[in-house]
Amino acid sequence: MADRGAWSACFTMMQWLARLKRGFQHIDGLLVGDWLTIALCLGLILLYWPEASLGQAKKCQIRQGGQVIGVYDLDQRRRISVKGPLGVSVVQIQQGKVRFSQAPCHNQYCLQQGWLSHAGEVALCLPNQVSIILLGERGFDSLAY
Amino acid sequence: MMNRWGWIFSLGLLCSACQAPSTHTEAYVFGTLVEIQIDDAPTAQGQRASNAVLARYQALHRQLHAWQPSELTALNQAISAGQQPFKASPLLRQVLVHAQQLSLQSNGLFNPALGRLIALWGFHQTPYQATIVAPEAVQAVMSQQPSMRALQFSPAGITSNNTAVQLDLGGYAKGFALDEGRAILQSMGIQHALINIGGNVIALGRHHGRPWRVGIQHPRQAGALAALDLPDGWAIGTSGDYQRFYLQDGKRYCHILDPNTGYPAQRSQSATVLIAPQPHAGVLSDVASKPLFIAPKHAALFAQQLGVAAWMIVDAQGHLSLNQAMQARITWLTAVRGQRVLP
Repeated sequence: MADRGAWSACFTMMQWLARLKRGFQHIDGLLVGDWLTIALCLGLILLYWPEASLGQAKKCQIRQGGQVIGVYDLDQRRRISVKGPLGVSVVQIQQGKVRFSQAPCHNQYCLQQGWLSHAGEVALCLPNQVSIILLGERGFDSLAY
Repeated sequence: MMNRWGWIFSLGLLCSACQAPSTHTEAYVFGTLVEIQIDDAPTAQGQRASNAVLARYQALHRQLHAWQPSELTALNQAISAGQQPFKASPLLRQVLVHAQQLSLQSNGLFNPALGRLIALWGFHQTPYQATIVAPEAVQAVMSQQPSMRALQFSPAGITSNNTAVQLDLGGYAKGFALDEGRAILQSMGIQHALINIGGNVIALGRHHGRPWRVGIQHPRQAGALAALDLPDGWAIGTSGDYQRFYLQDGKRYCHILDPNTGYPAQRSQSATVLIAPQPHAGVLSDVASKPLFIAPKHAALFAQQLGVAAWMIVDAQGHLSLNQAMQARITWLTAVRGQRVLP
């Protein structure tokens, strides 16, 4: 689906550029292939900008005690209860974001970590051993914290 | 034209799908999250190797725990009761000899003899507790000057000439475990892996033909501040005031104490050190970040004394300083303020 979007975005861009070119005939030396290349690059940049450059995550993975509980789409409204050694942690997903909304731990620092939405962001509840990691291209393999 | 681009695009998609098997294991040891990523090894072999490392970590955790009954707490009891020398295991003795040497190299800012103060500040409990500490109580411990200098190692065992010494290897054990884990993986035929213990990371080999890449946590935001390559054998460690801390009357108290005052260190939000390959790279990545975190003004001095290749500090105001070697390696992922580059 994303690919079809890319091609149609490129096509629109090409048409637009072709019209622009007709208006600026004095720009010499650029061939049709060059315009196509430029259009394709622009199209791909526009399409993948939010994911590749801003790193907006689409999914998150929740683990308890190191075991994967599940991978969840961020494009939904949902509450997930995760049982750990101290009790139930509640993970809340809405509008492309995720956070801990309830936790049985003493310090409640997992709640203070707030909403996460970018790939690579991590929220941890060490006492209840629950982790949320936002999946997607984050630009690194592990986090030093 | 389109065809050629189409091919390049599809090849890119294909390559991202044709990577060799990787295993990713997470577990909770040393009171923190342990992550082991293994590349280019059959899943069964990767799993076996991760399990061996985790088993070793559980054993180390039990042996070196600072407040649950362990060999270390037995030594601490012997020291405070004056029942010495204490016959320690070869491992504990080796660790303490090394920790003493590093403590001297850091002018005492890495001081694993402050267990009594760490307990006083509420960090010797699971979970740790926000604690109101009387200045007199801090002074009472500080006046006895507990330090690693007090330890003497003889064939008969370990002796301390200061009964206020209480050992806490919280700033050493995770780094030690990184070195041990890397050696175990290598001995089991693993060539490419990354171990992350509570944010301290060591690299073995590469990740699908390129160096492993590690993000550095922003001390006040959810994401990474920067990222850098961690080539084979390199280790990276961060000390921060944002992992083990509590807030009291709007003031932040972190678990890293300034040995000169007996109070939680206040001058930095985080300090990151990068260590070149050497036998104790993991240990150094854990230990060397402490003096830089406690005394950021003297970062260059301590970096040199402890053999730190590259370092970076976010000070209490959120301003950043780093050495040239770090600047050459780092890619910023977040805008930073007041960047100061030192030789």
